[in-house]
Amino acid sequence: MSAEDPEDAPAETIPDAEGDEVPSGDAAAEAGTGSDAGGAPDRDVDAESDPLAKVPDDVLLQVRDLDAGYGDLQILTDVDLDVGDGEYVTIVGPNGAGKSTVMKSVFGLTTYMGGTITFDGTEIHERAPEEIIHEGISYVPQNENVFDGLTVRENLEMGAYILDEVPEAQIEEIYDRFPVLRERSDQKAGTMSGGQRQMVAMGRALMLDPDLLLLDEPSAGLAPDLVQDMFDRIDRINDDGTAILMVEQNAKAALRRCDRGYVLANGENSYTDTGDRLLADEDVRQQFLGG
Amino acid sequence: MGVNESLQRGRAAVRGKPFLFLAGVAGLVLLADLLARLAGVEVPITAERSFGGSLSALRFGGLVWNGIVVGLIFGLAGIGLSMTYSILNFANFSHGDLVTTGAFTGWGAALLIAGWGGSSAGHLLSVRAGSGAGPNAIGASVVQSPLAILVGVIVAAVATVLVTVAADRIVYKPMRDRGGIPLLIASIGVALALRYSIQFVYGARNRGVTATEGVGVPFYGVSIDLHEITLVIVAVGLMLGTHFLLQRTKLGKAMRAMADNKDLALVTGIPTERVVTATWVLGGALAGVSGYLYVLERGTIEFNLGWFLLLFIFAAVILGGIGSIYGAIAGGLVIGLVHEVSLIWISSDFNAAAAFVIMILVLLYRPEGLFGGVTTA
Repeated sequence: MSAEDPEDAPAETIPDAEGDEVPSGDAAAEAGTGSDAGGAPDRDVDAESDPLAKVPDDVLLQVRDLDAGYGDLQILTDVDLDVGDGEYVTIVGPNGAGKSTVMKSVFGLTTYMGGTITFDGTEIHERAPEEIIHEGISYVPQNENVFDGLTVRENLEMGAYILDEVPEAQIEEIYDRFPVLRERSDQKAGTMSGGQRQMVAMGRALMLDPDLLLLDEPSAGLAPDLVQDMFDRIDRINDDGTAILMVEQNAKAALRRCDRGYVLANGENSYTDTGDRLLADEDVRQQFLGG
Repeated sequence: MGVNESLQRGRAAVRGKPFLFLAGVAGLVLLADLLARLAGVEVPITAERSFGGSLSALRFGGLVWNGIVVGLIFGLAGIGLSMTYSILNFANFSHGDLVTTGAFTGWGAALLIAGWGGSSAGHLLSVRAGSGAGPNAIGASVVQSPLAILVGVIVAAVATVLVTVAADRIVYKPMRDRGGIPLLIASIGVALALRYSIQFVYGARNRGVTATEGVGVPFYGVSIDLHEITLVIVAVGLMLGTHFLLQRTKLGKAMRAMADNKDLALVTGIPTERVVTATWVLGGALAGVSGYLYVLERGTIEFNLGWFLLLFIFAAVILGGIGSIYGAIAGGLVIGLVHEVSLIWISSDFNAAAAFVIMILVLLYRPEGLFGGVTTA
């Protein structure tokens, strides 16, 4: 069942979703009243970069019409987003646009208010994080993403808590990926530098060899020379087949490296396109990338 | 030049932390006095007061030993208090009455086995609530009925765990998201409910429990109390066991992880609810056993014994750095030692105050506590 669904799903749901895109919510209002006179810049972009056309055929994560927030406060409205198998997707947008909220919603950390989130053919929008992690998604939060009082190795062990045995081979693989973690395996994570902590956090998230890795601002708080290194490491994780959904303040660098980007503003997504084309887009540059 | 500099640094230190300086001076004077007493040197100051005096090494050793014994009780009970604080973020005021719960349930079982046939089961199970056989007739001691004492430890742990987990399910769990203050107040309610339930079931009378025959054993000129030895062995064993659990087992590491960062534990896939329950189980068991051991050492039982212990347990945990189990143990030992050794200078009416003064002094110098910032690791 799960073997068939993901293959069938894109073919069926993409036209649906595209149909939704225009008539639903604010977009419908704009379509009804808006003129061609450039009053709504997002219509221009939508027209030339048909949003969902770029989505790969084998969709891994599919978010449709997602409404979510915290308690009574709604942050996201009608968010649509896809991540293909092995794809590298970033979400960019101004502060407070709800970028992190999209990720947290995928991981079951927000209050669900409507829409669907499907992962590998399974609906996950009403699941708890500890169930979602079983499906093959791991999440690296932005801040405080390591257990300070635990050693590096213990941090990695916690990443595989849901397994019965500590997967030694996987720990070795992560030590190979981040050699400094092997050297410091008995050191308390709280005593390490920002860049090393970020490696511990990623290593922990990779312990279950997830199909999709959610990264919230992986470059936050890193020294500039470490930022490039961090992006290189993310590239390599992606090259090894793990799909990545990333939120990043450092939007230009992120867009340059990713396969595809989403621009999010006011809790709604406005455009999606390849990273390069978003970078080249005049509106996107002016509104979200600081010219 | 050098002398001048150090004098100046000294003056700056005195001006910066005058209180600490005074405490340091007082500490040095007390230490000198203690040494003088041990050496038998006495320098009269006034008619009634004198510096030094005589203190036999034996009496000093006895005070230190007593300090270690009560300190281990504070520390053992404090582990659970510290852990529930760090994992659930609230100060559990019902912890003292969990200690009492363990004392009564454990001793009920111990007396039942030790005195089987000699007295009515109701009298024994209620820990001598009514009239009936006395402690020595029942014969509950490690000499006369070691098995009964051992079963008592286990019953104390199990019964207290049941009460602890029930309190969590009924009271704490439904309001866990509302923050530390409502939980703290609720725990005071639980404490009162527990204490008066215990009083209702077991009565309010303070009575003897343990048999004393053969418990004191002469050993190279000193009398060794086998009940105290038992207490020290069981308490240290449980502390080592807790250390092993936290450092070596998956569950223990998950407890430390949760104490560190609950949100991250949740997104890591740690079953947080199960870890919380495990924390209550561990904390409750240690509290129950510490109450049982406390009665083993002092020989008498009373419905509000845990409530009186609670202040010392809190002092131990805060002194050690709340959230750290090693801090709780170290803090317990410091409080226990000060409580007993201070008897050299002050009467037993005030020695509890001395323990709290030391706590305040340590916190002035290290507000985070002795092991603060080390977390449960």
